[in-house]
Amino acid sequence: MKVTIKNWVGVATWRWVANDDNCGICRMPFDGCCPDCKLPGDDCPLVWGQCSHCFHMHCIVKWLQSQQVNQQCPMCRQEWKFNNK
Amino acid sequence: MSLKPRTVDFNATWTLLQETIHGVITLAHVPRPVWNDRFSDVYSLCVAHPEPMADRLYAETKLYLTNHVAKLLNEVLEGGDAHLVKNYFKYWTDYSIGARYLHSLYLYLNQQHIKTQKLSDAEIIYGGSDTAGEQMEIGELALEIWRSGMISPLGYKLVKLLLEAIDEDRLYHTTTLPIDAVKGTILSFVEVQTYKKKGQLQLYQELFEEPFLNSSGEHFKRDAARLLESKDVSLYMEKVIAKIDEELFRARKFLHPSSLPKITQRCETHMVAEHLLFLYSECKNMVQGERKQDLSNMYNLLKSVPNAMSVLVETVLDHIKSQGLVAVNNLQGESVHIHFVENLLEVYKKYRQLIQEVYKGDQNFMGALDKACSSVINYRPSDGRSPSRSPELLAKYCDTLLKKSTKGISESEVDEKLSQSIIIFKYIDDKDIFQKFYSRMLAKRLIHQQTQSMDAEEAMINRLKQACGYEFTNKLHRMFTDMSLSGDLNNRFSTFLKNDSIDLGITFNIHVLQAGAWPFGQSNVTSFALPQQLERSVQMFESFYHKRFNGRKLTWLHHLCQAELRLGYLKKPYLITMQTFQMAILLMFETTNSLTCGEIRDTLQLNNEQIQRYANSLVECKFLLADTEELSSNTSLRLNTEYSNKRTRFRITAAVQKETPQEVEHTMNSVEEDRKLYLQAAIVRIMKSRKVLKHNALIQEVCAQSKVSFAPSIPMIKKCIEALIDKQYIERTPHSSEEYSYVA
Repeated sequence: MKVTIKNWVGVATWRWVANDDNCGICRMPFDGCCPDCKLPGDDCPLVWGQCSHCFHMHCIVKWLQSQQVNQQCPMCRQEWKFNNK
Repeated sequence: MSLKPRTVDFNATWTLLQETIHGVITLAHVPRPVWNDRFSDVYSLCVAHPEPMADRLYAETKLYLTNHVAKLLNEVLEGGDAHLVKNYFKYWTDYSIGARYLHSLYLYLNQQHIKTQKLSDAEIIYGGSDTAGEQMEIGELALEIWRSGMISPLGYKLVKLLLEAIDEDRLYHTTTLPIDAVKGTILSFVEVQTYKKKGQLQLYQELFEEPFLNSSGEHFKRDAARLLESKDVSLYMEKVIAKIDEELFRARKFLHPSSLPKITQRCETHMVAEHLLFLYSECKNMVQGERKQDLSNMYNLLKSVPNAMSVLVETVLDHIKSQGLVAVNNLQGESVHIHFVENLLEVYKKYRQLIQEVYKGDQNFMGALDKACSSVINYRPSDGRSPSRSPELLAKYCDTLLKKSTKGISESEVDEKLSQSIIIFKYIDDKDIFQKFYSRMLAKRLIHQQTQSMDAEEAMINRLKQACGYEFTNKLHRMFTDMSLSGDLNNRFSTFLKNDSIDLGITFNIHVLQAGAWPFGQSNVTSFALPQQLERSVQMFESFYHKRFNGRKLTWLHHLCQAELRLGYLKKPYLITMQTFQMAILLMFETTNSLTCGEIRDTLQLNNEQIQRYANSLVECKFLLADTEELSSNTSLRLNTEYSNKRTRFRITAAVQKETPQEVEHTMNSVEEDRKLYLQAAIVRIMKSRKVLKHNALIQEVCAQSKVSFAPSIPMIKKCIEALIDKQYIERTPHSSEEYSYVA
């Protein structure tokens, strides 16, 4: 071997991949954060439901708390279940 | 003897009393028993039966004192003008002491008879009622009689003599009259009225002080004219300061303390305020020569003259500004940024110290220093369009200090220098440009592990936060958070590898950064075919990452990745740190010793510009040999098998890490974009709360809001307003084109 790699320091950036650009509840872009947060990133994460819809975690939690009877996805009216795959 | 009221023969008692009074007022010997008897006589007269004789006693005493003073006046006059002051002072001393004793002798009369009819303090002070016909306590009566009987007829003559004496003192620093006589006489004008509740100084001021000030004023004018003949400002100022001191000393010697400020003020009016133009004529030379003594003299003189300081302040401002510009203009070479900051700081410190020393930190001058510094730092070359380079240079300066390479500077020194740089930072208008450059450089330091010390980095960011607020530094903070998160991630990844007993064959480290927080645009990401040696590692990590963080997409920034390689084809083994693209090029020579640029480009799927840049860097380091000077697709590159270097472990990343002019321009452009967004957001915020606003008021508020990070140009604000009207956030009100309203 003429040249061997001893070690390698990689650099990568991450961003959310969701099936939509904006959060269906607050209408803010997923690249940004929910209206209650100041900064996007780990502090304002996204969550997916089993119905495959995606929201800011803060937004969907607020929505679920405001529903008295049954917990539904605001987009498709199916029962809301967090998708913890 | 009894205290009971009884019949008293007034005439007999008064004869005895009068004798004693004479003794008291002339300070002759009065035996104690006699004093006691007369004291009770006063009492018995006041309470005499059947009618108290207090009023008569008062009238007789007044008459006696009037006659006595008239006699003294005669004696003073007989002594002639030459001895007038001396004699007056002698008689006054005796009389004033005597009057005090007499006051005690008449204690009963004063306390019981007169005080009861007196007006209260409040009535005297606020009532302004007439006190002429009223009886006075005997001590006061004696003083009042002295005033009317002695000072009134003699006053003007006395004052004339006193003024002559003072003039004599000015000329020869000595007086023919004894000093205490002069001072005593002058003060007698005050003492004779001390009993009064208000206007104690009235007599003194009217009789003596005014003529004195006027004659002194004349004297000062003459003196100023005489001194001006020399035409030398600094000499003149010295003389004037000495003169003021001397006059103050003289005033302390002769006058009542209340006159001190007045005489100083007179002196300043005639010797400074009336000759301001003369003083100003030399001002510029003095400031430019930085003649500290002269400057401090001038400051002391101008300080008390209203509005006189501004010319001096202006001159100082201009001088500092021109010195500052000289210090930073025409800087050239590699270390412009270091010279720029350090020269500026030198100028700043020098003049700050000068102002402390000469002007005692006067606010006017500190303000001038601030103005001068900010105009130097934000100075734009006369062609106008190009922005000031200061933010970039300052950011570079900080970068140099915080980078590992700083040689031989201790940590505390670095810290010191960084906190000094905040001084410059505070004057910068375009703080957002500084932030952009700073964050780019910080990002590079973090990723390439070039930070000297994390403590120093954090301290610097805290300083910026203090100066500009949380908003300004939060992105910088997030970069630090990402770095520590990446540390965690690396640990977890290596545990994961160990658990699954996977060997990647290389040591693998990664920084995973949050896209928005780091100053890397997407534009830099280009296509790149990863060398197969790395493929497995990258795949392993990606699958690990996706399992752990659902819904996130990784984008590799290969232009920032680094690798350490071992070169085994040379005489000695070398360990070399280089960038991924450099590595990829070098790896291609595994099977052959010669390749063309075009071949490399096609295999790695890099663009021409990148091939040129990275291959060139390898050629420059002599790892590769090129057959033409300029690299083109047909240029063939050969592996240099003869390569040798004394050091066996080094990095060749520096050449490619330099900021290119395009990058600088790119940074500037992104600042421009950010500003537009910032301004639009500000306008919407303001309009949302105000609903309707006039054009000028809006511009003002926008400027106020953005002042923290930059000074917006008016045309730019106008453009943003236009853009918002187009986007229908706001609209022009129907009745006026100068007014906007918010569209909900």
